[in-house]
Amino acid sequence: MKRLIIKRLLQLIPMLIGMSFVSFIIIQSSPGDYFAQMKMNPEISPETIESMRTSFGLDRPILVQYFLWLKNMCKLDFGVSFAYHIPVKTLIKFRLKNTICLAIFSLFMSWIIAVPLAVIAGYKEGTFFDKLLSMCAYFSISLPSFFVALLFVYFISKTNLLPIGGTRSIFEVDASTIMVFKDYMKHLLVPGLVLCLVNVGGLFRLMKNNFIETFNTPFILAAWARGVSRNSVIFKHTLRNALNPMFTILGMEIGSLLNGAALTEIICGWPGMGSLVLEAVLSHDLYLVMGSLVISGFLLVLGNLIGDILIAFFDPRIRIS
Amino acid sequence: MRKLLHRLKNHSRLAYFSLWFLLVFYFASFFADILAPYHFDHQFRNKPYHPPTKIHFFDSRGHFHIRPFVYNTVVDDPVFKTYREDHSKIYPLKFFVRGKERKIFFFFKTDRYLFGVDQPAGIFLFGTDNYGRDIFSRLLYGGRISLSISLIGVFISFSLGMITGGIAGYFGGIIDQTLMRLVEILMVFPSFYLMLSLRAMFPLNLSSIQVYLLIVLILSLIGWAGLARIIRGMVLSIKEEDYILAAKSLGLSHWKILLFHIFPNTFSYSITAITISVPGYIIGEAALSLLGLGIQEPYPSWGNILSSTIGNLRVLGDAPWLLLAGIFIFVVLINFNLLGDALRNVLDPKNW
Amino acid sequence: MCLTPKTGRMERMLEIKNLSVLRIERKKSVPILNDINFAVKEGEMFCLVGESGSGKTSLALSIIRLLPKSFKIAYGEILINGKNILGINERSMRNIRGKEISIIFQDPAAYLDPLFTIGTHLQESFHGKMANKKELISLALQEVGLDSEIQTVYPHQLSGGQQQRVMIAMALINKPSIIIADEPTTALDVLTTRQIISLLNAIRLKHSPAMLFITHDLELAMEIGTRIGIMYRGNIVEIFRPGVQKPYHPYSKILLGTIERKNSKLVVGVEKNKFYNEQISQVCVFFDMCDEKEENCKKIIPFIWHNNETGVRCIKSGRNTQV
Repeated sequence: MKRLIIKRLLQLIPMLIGMSFVSFIIIQSSPGDYFAQMKMNPEISPETIESMRTSFGLDRPILVQYFLWLKNMCKLDFGVSFAYHIPVKTLIKFRLKNTICLAIFSLFMSWIIAVPLAVIAGYKEGTFFDKLLSMCAYFSISLPSFFVALLFVYFISKTNLLPIGGTRSIFEVDASTIMVFKDYMKHLLVPGLVLCLVNVGGLFRLMKNNFIETFNTPFILAAWARGVSRNSVIFKHTLRNALNPMFTILGMEIGSLLNGAALTEIICGWPGMGSLVLEAVLSHDLYLVMGSLVISGFLLVLGNLIGDILIAFFDPRIRIS
Repeated sequence: MRKLLHRLKNHSRLAYFSLWFLLVFYFASFFADILAPYHFDHQFRNKPYHPPTKIHFFDSRGHFHIRPFVYNTVVDDPVFKTYREDHSKIYPLKFFVRGKERKIFFFFKTDRYLFGVDQPAGIFLFGTDNYGRDIFSRLLYGGRISLSISLIGVFISFSLGMITGGIAGYFGGIIDQTLMRLVEILMVFPSFYLMLSLRAMFPLNLSSIQVYLLIVLILSLIGWAGLARIIRGMVLSIKEEDYILAAKSLGLSHWKILLFHIFPNTFSYSITAITISVPGYIIGEAALSLLGLGIQEPYPSWGNILSSTIGNLRVLGDAPWLLLAGIFIFVVLINFNLLGDALRNVLDPKNW
Repeated sequence: MCLTPKTGRMERMLEIKNLSVLRIERKKSVPILNDINFAVKEGEMFCLVGESGSGKTSLALSIIRLLPKSFKIAYGEILINGKNILGINERSMRNIRGKEISIIFQDPAAYLDPLFTIGTHLQESFHGKMANKKELISLALQEVGLDSEIQTVYPHQLSGGQQQRVMIAMALINKPSIIIADEPTTALDVLTTRQIISLLNAIRLKHSPAMLFITHDLELAMEIGTRIGIMYRGNIVEIFRPGVQKPYHPYSKILLGTIERKNSKLVVGVEKNKFYNEQISQVCVFFDMCDEKEENCKKIIPFIWHNNETGVRCIKSGRNTQV
């Protein structure tokens, strides 16, 4: 187990290097000097610009620049945002927290909904209930996240059921932690539900297929033949085995979640990475774009890693080999 | 091909219907110049956020008219954009009306449109936007852009994926390793972030044709990696087949084997993959345009018709018909998904 | 050992009467098993021999009522200790499975859940009193020649032979009155096959359950079976006692290699799809392949019993019975 994780971690290194290199190339080929915009800003002293120039080695050859940039990255120094005049790191830290909260919330919700429904639909394959759910799943996978978000925003604007935009509406200093948390969750609900609605269909279909596939395996037949109870066959044997491949797709799902989350965040006004990267692109805030790109890629790699570890944890064939 | 259609029909009526539905959609947006009552940037300055026009058969005195008609509308409340009908004159709906000359895809000229009403009345099936432009017409014209971008994008990334995957799978070794690492690195990034970053490489103010090409480029650059990986896997298994070994022993060149013996065998997968990946491109284009980074005004696309509703609750509340663009996207997507699933089942050799 | 409360000691443990099974395919139904009749008594080793596709496994699955959804039992009775299991509900059937009847499958690796330890498998299979659970589990393991420590191990860590022993232990644990072994040695190597066979024989001699041994290997069946049933395309064409009688049916003879085929063009064998696409034939099932056919064979041939234990499905059997 330990060796497996270490092996996977080592495999990550070339991946991360490649990823950073691609990000670097993308940003390098962007038009304009990094500091052209900064120079025009009277608030930034020429000394600051000069020190940044040397710290990023912008007067050196490109390959040297890359390694310098990589060195700074390892120290989590992504440079300074042109638009906000604060380190990119600080900006991303705040936004990343919100995006991760959103992602985890919707991931949790969609699993909670999709897995039980998939088990029922899989067990009652071919019935009306199954067909109805499959049709709903088609709707879910075909709904673009931005459209659902717009519909939600429209609906909320008509009913004022839930707050929209930002992360909090209580600004009193003496507000208790629980109240702030409640408030945060309320704001999270709309983008979270949007993302959940968009993701749940795909998850359901995958889980249902896994369930049916597992349900028809010989070892389930053998379990029936041994006189194992129905609950045990379904929930112990079939469900556990059907869930295993789901852990592998967890990593991929984090990717699609980030994509959907970005647009949802922008439309629902949730201050996460998505809206940050959009602002960065619109204001040509290159260091911010680069930082966000690297971090989002890192998140995806991390998701894959977590999926691998989970599957190793749950599958004795991988754990004990 | 006919056999395929027949099998599809037998497998799932719904998917067969989807196929026709999509064909009609593509057809309609291709002939938007004839079908749309107004040009996409024709503005009714005095009718912003006009709700969908009511089509009447009975006039205000209760007389029945065989030919449906509309009333002209006048602004009731300029702040809340409400309109009332002016019952003094009826404007009958006319078919094949003559109007300004339009070019169908730069080639043919037409000055007749499918339907319309006389000025100053307007027929807005789906209402108008903030400039008083007919949403129905804009949706048709927008479909031309959104749907063509997705098709061209899929075509390019498919060719790229086919070539890279084919070469990697067929030649193996170092070539395979290098190409696949490259593919993996591209796949590490969440596509939305990559899309925005790639867009950031180019200036924001480009001409509309440049933006169009840029979107196609970006979308296909993001999409090819996944396809390449799957095609590589297929080529790896196909190249072990006896007939490929036979072709090799006959002394056919690598390129001939790849082109005439391996690629045709990925055909059934390719059809399915194309169908399944089109939605991603439609969403990609819509997302970029929605955020103001894609197709620019006055040109319509399904994404940028929606864009005026973002962050502006009042617009959304006043003119919910703008959301119809989203419904168009959804409908096209669900049909592609239904069709893709059915094709996958039909073309799967296991199910024959 | 196999006392059912009301009737006392039953003579016949597994009895199958006129069993017919169909597979429903879209609009048509194809016969899988046709008019199966036989009984297996306690302590007996009834070997069912046939080629792949002849319906052996379908028969085994019908007996435990676990046929795939597309299969339907069209007609007949399956009596387990005198009780017709086709008439009872699923819940009571679950009480019979594993307790009164257990089954050993052909490829043990595929029939063990990879995510659970051997111990979990054994505990699940045990349906008796909780008090002596541990004891009986280790006893069953001992009986199949496995160490008690094997319980903490996962299936993939075992060899094929060990896995099959685990399957046998699970089948034995409730001391069932009927054990079905569905080609239990096909996935094993020659040496392990011998070990498993002798283990099964030992179990039969010790506990004397009614044993239904399904195999495609007639030589093996001749060696271990007390009676042998030959299956051909969903029919039992002959039941005979090895060593006592010689098989009579032409198909049995071909299987045994006792006669040369005159018509070398025909290959003995069942093409799976060919059979499935057929309706119930109106001639003798072996008509197409038979070298000894005559005009009389062009009708449905009933199974002709010599006594209650042996018989043959051939029209000529009445004329010259070899005993």
